Amino acid sequence: MNSRQKLRLKFILVIVLAVVAGLIAYPQAVSKIPRLFSVLNKPKINLGLDLQGGIHLEYKADTSQVASNQVGDAMQAVQDVIERRVNAFGVAEPVVYTTKSAGEQRLVVELAGVKDINEAKKMISETPFLEFKDESTTTPEQIPQDQLDKTNAAAKAKAEDILKKALAGADFAQLAKDNSQDPGSKDNGGVYDFQKKGSFVPEYEAAVFDPNLKNGDIYPKVVESQFGWHIIKKIEIRGDGDAQEFKSAHILIMKTNQPQPQTTWAATGLTGKNLKSATVQFKSQGLSEPEVSLKFDDDGTKLFADITKRDVGKRIAIFLDGEIITAPTVQTEILNGEAVVTGNYTVEQAKALVKRLNEGALPVPITLVGQQSVEATLGQVSLAQSLKAGLIGLLLVIIFMLVYYRFLGLIASVALLIYSALMISIFKLSGFTPWQITLTLPGIAGFVLSIGMAVDANILIFERTKEEIRKGRNILSAIEEGFKRAWTSILDGNMSSIITAFILVEMGTGFVKGFAVTLIIGVLASMFTAVVITRTILRFILGPWIEDKMWLIGAKKENI
Amino acid sequence: MFNIISKTKYAYIFSGTLTLLSIIALFTWGLKYGIDFTGGTLMEVKFENQLPINQDIENSLKDLNLKSLTLQSTGNNSVLIRYASEDDKINQTVVATLSEKYPDSQNLRTDYANASVSSELKTKSLMAIFWAIIGIMAYVAWAFRRVSHPVASWKYGAGAVIALIHDVLITVGVFSVLGHFWGVEVGVPFVAALLTILGFSVHDTIVVYDRTRENLQRSSAKEKFPEIVNRSLNETLVRSINTSLTVIVTLLAIYIFGGESIKYFSLALLVGVTFGTYSSIFVASALLVTSYNLQKQ
Repeated sequence: MNSRQKLRLKFILVIVLAVVAGLIAYPQAVSKIPRLFSVLNKPKINLGLDLQGGIHLEYKADTSQVASNQVGDAMQAVQDVIERRVNAFGVAEPVVYTTKSAGEQRLVVELAGVKDINEAKKMISETPFLEFKDESTTTPEQIPQDQLDKTNAAAKAKAEDILKKALAGADFAQLAKDNSQDPGSKDNGGVYDFQKKGSFVPEYEAAVFDPNLKNGDIYPKVVESQFGWHIIKKIEIRGDGDAQEFKSAHILIMKTNQPQPQTTWAATGLTGKNLKSATVQFKSQGLSEPEVSLKFDDDGTKLFADITKRDVGKRIAIFLDGEIITAPTVQTEILNGEAVVTGNYTVEQAKALVKRLNEGALPVPITLVGQQSVEATLGQVSLAQSLKAGLIGLLLVIIFMLVYYRFLGLIASVALLIYSALMISIFKLSGFTPWQITLTLPGIAGFVLSIGMAVDANILIFERTKEEIRKGRNILSAIEEGFKRAWTSILDGNMSSIITAFILVEMGTGFVKGFAVTLIIGVLASMFTAVVITRTILRFILGPWIEDKMWLIGAKKENI
Repeated sequence: MFNIISKTKYAYIFSGTLTLLSIIALFTWGLKYGIDFTGGTLMEVKFENQLPINQDIENSLKDLNLKSLTLQSTGNNSVLIRYASEDDKINQTVVATLSEKYPDSQNLRTDYANASVSSELKTKSLMAIFWAIIGIMAYVAWAFRRVSHPVASWKYGAGAVIALIHDVLITVGVFSVLGHFWGVEVGVPFVAALLTILGFSVHDTIVVYDRTRENLQRSSAKEKFPEIVNRSLNETLVRSINTSLTVIVTLLAIYIFGGESIKYFSLALLVGVTFGTYSSIFVASALLVTSYNLQKQ
């Protein structure tokens, strides 16, 4: 193959590339050929959230309760759960991924084209956090019995003393105010307004309902109850039978009791992370008593066995979002990793609980730390505006090139159009590779900016060409020289743009990334179109015929 | 041929003054940081019917005790609502309150960042600028490693970096003024613009340096270094101006037609690219000559 044939082949390749890229970029050109159109129209540009509307949510996961070597698993589990939730919502191509930044575990959820942003957000943020806790009882220190007796004897003596004063005619209300240890009544003279019979301790009511006691009388003895010693004054009884109500007043001197053991719930380490599945089942074959059956994964099974072993006879509580939903008592050690939650559920309640457990049990709690949401209509406006800006920019650059560089400018403009078609094709076709490019609003800005920069390579070459012509070279060799000499400048200059663009990609946030990725691809593609394509076209088209048509180049020979 | 190098004194005075003014503006007014750096919430709410006056909206949000609440009307019947927030619950309350009071309102967009996100973005931005400068300096020094006579190759790197710091400082200064008088905010997009300016400014400078390198290799012994630099500047002058013109034309198209969201992004680029072109013609090469003269003394 001689050099002329090689050039012809190259030129044909350029034409083929231009046609293919052009058709992919603008399939409407062949809309009259339906079969071809339907194939070409398949690849679509993946538009970012800012152009089609949608929501970007960034959550912080609190992994402080998770062993450090299990954080990765826990985050994977969070991601799986949120993915299931989001899928159920029916958004096309939801994106859920975890990242680590600033020492925090983060989860990012991106929902494109979502209609009701607040509804979507609610659905994700209300994802429940499931936790199993066991009962632990703590017994505060006991008070020595003799000391306790002494204190109580003194309290009783004080009560007797007050009763004496009251019976002697002292103002009951004042006595209550001064001495009563019942914070609920002391300030209004110890009075309790009408209460249903049975709502007070029996010792108290026995005194009030003593048939010998008249309205307004004080019961002649100190009454002892679990709370302490009461001096009781009957005020009124009304109603009959079960509806009987009474109004009374009392002065309470409190009794000191041994502190009671207290029940608290302690974390067991078993959380929703360990839940494999939850299902509704029914007791005794009927549809009457629905139960929720839980199945744990391997780790969960082991943990659950340990917990049930040490907690036989005690209760285990299942917490959802920090609230107890059920606290069944452990009957026996459970080794198979299955648990049944019996509660007074209706079928609907059981089903809802199961759905929540299956879809939403999160192994670690998450909080929203960042949000960017764009309403779909705003996205469409942005898309239309930026495309218009891009077209106008492209047009202005072409006009400039035509005016200033004439014939060379025409070739450069053709290269620029091929460049634009190529870029759009790369955006569209990237969807078939693992490296799909998402076009964002700043991405379009980056694209438009890269048009300006793409032309720079051609300007460098053409200026150099003109210079060589001025030095006395003929047009053809001047053009060759222009390409050769301008190349180092083009490469060095574009390298610096690529370096900064890579640093921008590393910075990583959505806005910046879209811009930088477009800029990198743009710079690389523009080097190809401005150098290889322009050169091939020029070499093929130009021949000796150009030599006497200097005006076509827009250059003047000065020093001949 | 223009004797550009002979005008170095005026270029230094002009650049020095602008840089100084920028630094002064930065220290007195600072920059008006956007939500992404301060943390908080920014909402754009559009009203289908009559745009309520800001006082009305403010009153309806009064009970929520929003900290540093500001309202700003935009051109297209919508209001920008900004407030400090550390918890997303408050955002949900605001949305609920607004849609209850104004059934015709529509939440166009919401940006929310809490303190951990914003401080992280701030650190990342500073690191990005730092590494970009280091990377560019290293690259220029490497690209010009074979040129050591009469000016050492690292000085090309240093010259390019001083020129780009000059461009970036002036751009930041312009936005300090814009922020103080017109409330223009700077956020992550602004940092992206700064980094692009870095790349572009060096790109421009390199083209001139490149020609200087080439001319140095071919020049006769008679021609002095300042003359070679001046000739190189002249030879690349048309290219520098034309390239910048095409870039500025496209940026203007984005600025005018590209919509509200990327308006200030393209404005930052416009300012930076303009000064980048200026500095690569009048400052970067002049620095080489100055360092050459100092060396000779």
